[in-house]
Amino acid sequence: MVQLVGSLRKEVAESLSTCRVLVVGAGGIGCELLKNLVLTGFKNIEVIDLDIIDVSNLNRQFLFQKKHVGKSKAQVAKESVLQFCPTANITAYHDSIMNPDYNVEFFRNFMLVMNALDNRAARNHVNRMCLAADIPLIESGTAGYLGQVTVIKKGLTECYECQPKPTQKTFPGCTIRNTPSEPIHCIVWAKYLFNQLFGEEDADQEVSPDTADPEASWNPAETEARAMASETDGDIKRVSTKEWARSTGYDPAKLFNKLFKDDIMYLLTMDKLWKKRKAPLPLDWHQLESQGSRRPQGEVKAVGLKDQQVLGVWGYCQLFQHSIETLRSELQEKGDGAELVWDKDDAPALDFVTAAANLRMHIFSMTMKSRFDIKSMAGNIIPAIATTNAIIAGLIVMEGLKVVSGELESCRTIFLNKHPNLRKKLLVPCILDPPCANCYVCASRPEVTVKLNVLKTTVLALQDRILKERFGMVAPDVNIEDGKGTILISSEEGETDANNGKFLSDFGIRNGSRLQSDDFLQDYTLLINVLHAEDLEKDVEFEVVGDAPDKAPPPPSNQEDASSIANGNKDSAQPLRPRPIMDPSGDWTDWFGTGGCDARYCNS
Amino acid sequence: MIDMIAKEDPIISEEEAAQYDRQIRLWGLDAQKRLRGSRVLLVGLGGLGAEVAKNLILAGVKGLTMLDHEKVSQESCRAQFLVPVTAQGENRAQASLERAQYLNPMVEVRAQAERAEDQPDDFFLQFDAVCLTCCSRDLMVRVDQLCSKHNIKVFCGNVYGYYGYMFSDLGPEYNYVEEKPKMVKPSGDTNDGPKAKKAKVDPNETTMVKKTASFCSLKEALEVDWTTEKAKAGLKRTPVDYFLLHVLLKFRTDKGRDPAPQSSGEDARLLRQIRDDVLESMGLNRELLSDDFVSYCFSEMAPVCAVVGGVLGQEVVKALSQRDAPHKNIFFFDGRKGNGVVDYFGPQ
Repeated sequence: MVQLVGSLRKEVAESLSTCRVLVVGAGGIGCELLKNLVLTGFKNIEVIDLDIIDVSNLNRQFLFQKKHVGKSKAQVAKESVLQFCPTANITAYHDSIMNPDYNVEFFRNFMLVMNALDNRAARNHVNRMCLAADIPLIESGTAGYLGQVTVIKKGLTECYECQPKPTQKTFPGCTIRNTPSEPIHCIVWAKYLFNQLFGEEDADQEVSPDTADPEASWNPAETEARAMASETDGDIKRVSTKEWARSTGYDPAKLFNKLFKDDIMYLLTMDKLWKKRKAPLPLDWHQLESQGSRRPQGEVKAVGLKDQQVLGVWGYCQLFQHSIETLRSELQEKGDGAELVWDKDDAPALDFVTAAANLRMHIFSMTMKSRFDIKSMAGNIIPAIATTNAIIAGLIVMEGLKVVSGELESCRTIFLNKHPNLRKKLLVPCILDPPCANCYVCASRPEVTVKLNVLKTTVLALQDRILKERFGMVAPDVNIEDGKGTILISSEEGETDANNGKFLSDFGIRNGSRLQSDDFLQDYTLLINVLHAEDLEKDVEFEVVGDAPDKAPPPPSNQEDASSIANGNKDSAQPLRPRPIMDPSGDWTDWFGTGGCDARYCNS
Repeated sequence: MIDMIAKEDPIISEEEAAQYDRQIRLWGLDAQKRLRGSRVLLVGLGGLGAEVAKNLILAGVKGLTMLDHEKVSQESCRAQFLVPVTAQGENRAQASLERAQYLNPMVEVRAQAERAEDQPDDFFLQFDAVCLTCCSRDLMVRVDQLCSKHNIKVFCGNVYGYYGYMFSDLGPEYNYVEEKPKMVKPSGDTNDGPKAKKAKVDPNETTMVKKTASFCSLKEALEVDWTTEKAKAGLKRTPVDYFLLHVLLKFRTDKGRDPAPQSSGEDARLLRQIRDDVLESMGLNRELLSDDFVSYCFSEMAPVCAVVGGVLGQEVVKALSQRDAPHKNIFFFDGRKGNGVVDYFGPQ
């Protein structure tokens, strides 16, 4: 009989007490994970999280109490763990893991890194750091009742980015601005409106009618004529929305009539749009006001949550007014050039979006939604409970034990289902896949082809949209393989700012050009082959050649379960590898690039 | 005792709405209200018990009573996170009380330093659900029989090293609801002029479908007859964990405790012996359960407690809220393989 320390063989227990591990994230999974690690015998743990505690965390992040709201998650998590395990050696960082301080050397200190994250950018980054440092990484995610754990080891398994993941869902500009057909279109519009009025104005977040909508015209010449007309027609586009609003003193009634009456009436003149669609019905503030004040305020029965009630049109008009007045004062208080940032937990900001989105929904004949539902959609909220996180965090440590014991070949990907599958499994272990030969991150010389218009793509767009957003670089350096090594982008602040507004073609970049892009922090070099195209779809800036369009990757063949527990099981049918589905709630992917969970999960 | 009637006091406070927001968005307000009206008894505050306590308290039940007669040992401090390191020698339930209460002040958490065996029948009847950990087979069978008669939901579970299980008995006629997406009626042509473009199906359009499930007793689940032809045929697809469970339950009956690291050599011998006896008495081949398990069923592994406690906790939540299909009727977790299966044992 082997010598045991608790449940573990003595040698394993000893390595646990000396090894150092890193936990990235101290939220839902992180709290459970820290608890499991110390109880299992891990002694040296570092935990990092940039966030602070919110009351909505308390249903599951059990290391936090109400009195901790507003404090650093990493810090409070450490203190709470020390309460029940004072001998644990925990270092807490209230910081972003993407901070360059956490370089490859930093990662090399650890025997194991465990992610407890809720956004893809950070996952991509940690993936690369662990590849660069050659440290095993345990990746995980949860959403509602579902969850997943997997192990990533350079050269042995797929990395996090081997399988292409569907990019976040965006809607065409004309759908948002002219022809919304779903509540989400109106919510996106309302968030854009918030930014135009109170926040950072963004040229890609226009709210006014899109005169250049190809669907609106009977012929191309007409499109041009409309576009020209709008330039001179002051009502639509001459001044920025914020300037215009300021000039009216953010008068709610005036704002209302512009957005929900005048702009709608303009849309109606684009009659082709309404040949096969139900036309929008403009509203008038003063008309609604006189109707609203005449109608008696019904008894609001608080059977459910107050937030779950759906008000009438006038109710949302009033909400529109009140929220504008509050936001207006907030702006004033902050002084000149102030900007507000939209936050789902900021009541007037959410009120504003709720009101504006609902009014637009009503105009376009959609059933209005409660503040509760709008908060979910606008705030990209993923429902979360303690038990799912507890299960996944337990599985993370089970995999971690295998890593620390040097048993990498017994590591598995494990999926947590809501209900047992046809083979009675609630937890489905799957053998890990080997690395993808042409992965644009972990292949030996990663290369990729990007289709774009060199005449219309700016250097800044290349940096922000392509290298950072799409390819997960944090601080890219780019030079052109033109024999001269011309530097296009430097990660040094300010060095290449002058290039930002220029087009790629200005640098001689054309079809077939190659760009070498480096992120030194991630120790990552990506060679980009430029494929010049002038026929990209509207609103599409670039395409990565070889990407499957917007759907889950096909299930790889040749997957087997780890040998089943059922005695003598010789099932001939091998189960298909569960497909990772990126879309936790079916619809609510991250539209606004502001984080939010993107758990991979499967319902096999 | 809950039926399909909504709980009294329809108002959810602002504090509750804020704290429970992320779970209300998952299981709905009605479910949260039912939880809020439920009283649960939890027996045994070892590693698994602590996990279940945490999960139920965070979920927002009305009350949780923690019952345990055991004292805090050195092992306890390694096994569970509710007990302070200074509490050695104290009663396990009482030592866990303070931290358990801090998890959620809105729940009435109580501790009782007593043996479950010593409680009169009446004691159990004050609860909506009873959750038994660290209990002997006889005790669990007795409590299950008693509670089931009174419509009280019964859950049993334990963790043995890398292995763990949970069992549920929700009674012969358990009613619940499942949320399904509403079917969309195809839009017909409108009378007036241009055909309206059909709006897409709103993902929030769902409907509640009523269902019923039937559960057998623990006694029936454990006393499956493996000598019949039908049982033998099903043996191939039966998780071998079921037989392991019998061995471990017998160990507890004989020794009054679970296998312990301090006596691992002797316990290992006993386990192998019990394995032989149990399988023989069932008319089965002793090779069905290889010797392997013996090294891996000592003490409670914290991560295994987390997994089993998570599944068990969620089953209790589902049963109290009467929402979503329950697992029928035993869940087995094998921490060495990462396998988690649900299978039904008992009369068809």
